[in-house]
Amino acid sequence: MSADGVLRIENVGMRFGGLWALKGVSFEVRPGSIVGLIGPNGSGKTTLMNVISGVVKPAEGEVAYAGRTIADVPTHDVCRLGIARTFQVVKPFAGLTVRENVAVGAMYGRDGATLSTAACFDRAQALLEEVGLARVAERPASDLTIPDRKRLEVAKALALDPSLLLLDEVMAGLNASEVDEALHLLRAVNARGVTLIVVEHLMKAIMSISTSIVVLAEGKKIAEGLPAEIVASPAVVEAYLGARYAARQGRGRT
Amino acid sequence: MNRLLRGLGLGGITGSPQAFAVSLGIMALLLALPALHNGYLELTFRNILMFAAMSYGWNLLGGYTGYVSFGNVVFFGIGAYCSAVLSAHHVDSLLADVPVALVCAALFAIVVGVPILRLRGHYFGIATLGIALAAADLANNLDVLGGSGGLALKQVPQEQFSLYYYAMWAVALACMLGTFAIARSKLGYAFVAIRENEDAAQVLGVWPTRYKVTAYALGAMMTAAAGAVYAPANGFVDPSIAFAVDDNVFPIVMSILGGMGTAAGPFIGALLLAGLNEILQSQFVKIHSLFFGAIIVLVVLFLPRGIVYLIGLRGGMRRYLADRAAFRV
Amino acid sequence: MQLFFQDLVNGVLAGGILAVAALGFSLVWGILNIINLAHGTFIMLGAYITWQLFTSFHLDPFLSVPIAFAIMYGFGYVLQRGLINQVVRAPILATFLLTFGLSLLLVNLALIVWTGDTRAVSPAYSGANFTVAGVTVPWTKLATLVAALLITALMHVWLVRSKLGRAIRAMAMDVGAAQLAGVRVAHVYAVTFGLGAGLAGAAGALLSLSYSLNPSMGEPFLIKSFVVCVLGGLGSVQGALVGGLVYGIVESFASQLDVTVLGQHLSGSGLQDVIALVVLLVVLVARPTGIMGRAAA
Repeated sequence: MSADGVLRIENVGMRFGGLWALKGVSFEVRPGSIVGLIGPNGSGKTTLMNVISGVVKPAEGEVAYAGRTIADVPTHDVCRLGIARTFQVVKPFAGLTVRENVAVGAMYGRDGATLSTAACFDRAQALLEEVGLARVAERPASDLTIPDRKRLEVAKALALDPSLLLLDEVMAGLNASEVDEALHLLRAVNARGVTLIVVEHLMKAIMSISTSIVVLAEGKKIAEGLPAEIVASPAVVEAYLGARYAARQGRGRT
Repeated sequence: MNRLLRGLGLGGITGSPQAFAVSLGIMALLLALPALHNGYLELTFRNILMFAAMSYGWNLLGGYTGYVSFGNVVFFGIGAYCSAVLSAHHVDSLLADVPVALVCAALFAIVVGVPILRLRGHYFGIATLGIALAAADLANNLDVLGGSGGLALKQVPQEQFSLYYYAMWAVALACMLGTFAIARSKLGYAFVAIRENEDAAQVLGVWPTRYKVTAYALGAMMTAAAGAVYAPANGFVDPSIAFAVDDNVFPIVMSILGGMGTAAGPFIGALLLAGLNEILQSQFVKIHSLFFGAIIVLVVLFLPRGIVYLIGLRGGMRRYLADRAAFRV
Repeated sequence: MQLFFQDLVNGVLAGGILAVAALGFSLVWGILNIINLAHGTFIMLGAYITWQLFTSFHLDPFLSVPIAFAIMYGFGYVLQRGLINQVVRAPILATFLLTFGLSLLLVNLALIVWTGDTRAVSPAYSGANFTVAGVTVPWTKLATLVAALLITALMHVWLVRSKLGRAIRAMAMDVGAAQLAGVRVAHVYAVTFGLGAGLAGAAGALLSLSYSLNPSMGEPFLIKSFVVCVLGGLGSVQGALVGGLVYGIVESFASQLDVTVLGQHLSGSGLQDVIALVVLLVVLVARPTGIMGRAAA
């Protein structure tokens, strides 16, 4: 599972009716990096995830991965490019067991055609052990707690053997120790060569894990850089806390 | 033990292994039925096997993939008329009838399925009903199908009566084993993934259209095979027989009663309901349909997930009641 | 040319009844998200109630309309409250099958009570008609159309003005919010279904003047009601009215179809279901939300 290819997001715009959810967003994601995508509510983070994963086609601009334009690929074939994602609102296959849920990803993923059914289940079992769900492998997915459902989402995405993994608020609703476990898992996945784009609201978590940060506000990219730079950026503070607070900050510093 | 079961493909989405074993056992017994030389029993069980095949035909798209067709009888009619038309051209062999029926049904399912499987829920159901009703209309009007008068097929000589029993048995067995094979393979999981969450399935690499149409076509072939064997066995086909509206619904109720989305459910449901219907018909000639309507109502109210589910249910009465409470307002 | 206008008028006359027939179906589908497969059967019952009143008490069919409405409303209310409410939140298959089972039950009960013999309701004025500009208009059909429009208008006003009507419309938008606002959901569900049944009964009463009666007479109206709803747009009175009229006209012209294709003679009047299906598919492809346009759940 080696990382291949650069993700290029060029001037992407997306609108719903008259409202532009994204406008002129451009950045690059280098293979092997962990990009944290942050921004206030409604800034377009999930929409951007939907565009990158091919669930929606951008109204403007282009997203290309390893040289292929995502919009040209039908949604169900995007995983064959090596892109996988989790959903913010977790929806497991309730009528299947936990192991079966993950196995589906293995069956129809990038190398699914070459795997036998038994091999798919074996991969599923291995992934369950990696994310810590082996103890509930035989239980119906509908029985899982929220943290376990999040783990299942990640396991399903990993079953596709991705080189780029998009994680949409996968740590929402977790307590402190669960967050630590999640970070540990993500670092382990990244160490295998999987590029990560992580959308989160938990500042400490995302700052600690990301190699670079992209900040969105009202559909536009307002900042990009190392975590330390972002934390100190007045534009970012303004976006989250408002102009007056940023001005007070600025006055306080001088 | 689990590894052994999994190796055989039992459990998982094929449903209860015990129920499937029982179904196979009953099928083995039924193979010996003609030895009893009881024409009435043969006819009764031939009908039961026919309904089993039709139930399997519905179950693949309805139970496993979650797209409820309310017009599957159109495939039964296609199968029946294939045999009838072949007979009108002096071809009277099941070895010709069944393959032709399979091909016609699959083609129809693909051509019709691609557009209408884009519809969800109620719309899909009624669209399929509309297709079935329209097909009946057409059959009534087309001379090549005998119009409303129907078509007669070559009369079956007495010695060959059991041949059609065995043929229907073979069709039912093929449907049962076919469903089992599909459910233990990747294909079955694609169907269920679509049923549980079509959008999530897409992101995992499942192309919904391809798999929905596949389920529809496979189910169509099962139903058509039943029709293709029925027509020569019955000796006569007309639109009201080939496209009977009730034949749309009985396979659904049978699948539900037995347990939809399982490999044994349709057979068990058909056995119970068609058997019950037969008993009712002989005892209560005038009002058996009345009873059948009442049974449908009772099944929906009290056994919404079917018998196979009850067999596998962990948590017993409490879970059953909780499920039902979730359904009401 | 005169034939054109005759077909048009026939279409409008038939369409009015279809509108009333479909209105009940549309309400139940749009607000409760229930496809009532017993809808045709309710229409049939309305027709038979009218026949019974006509035969036993010589009651004029038009006077039976409110009676049929009331009886079927009560029946529908009890059915929903007692039975259908049990499976309202289950997957759609449950209500599909439940209403089908009920339909089977009711049709067979009707067969027992009234037998399969064809009946007719023929008051003294049934054959009378008048002619204007070369177009023949039967009096009963015209009166039926007027009655249909009246019922439709009354229903619309009631839904908009009355407290219960507003509760129903609130529920259509958000059951949870309606519940929080104090709406007794089980009761309002039952009222809505009762209205659907009542309207079907009223339609049946009106239909009894134009069609002969038998226990399976309701079947064609089920699929037509569905198509009318899809055509006109779901859940609104205007939608059912527009859909009914348009469908009535389309069906009237299509019935005149008389062609020979590849040596096979086809006549429109024998292909009613094919017409219905074609209209349905065209609408679903071209304008899925229907002419008056609100998308279904």
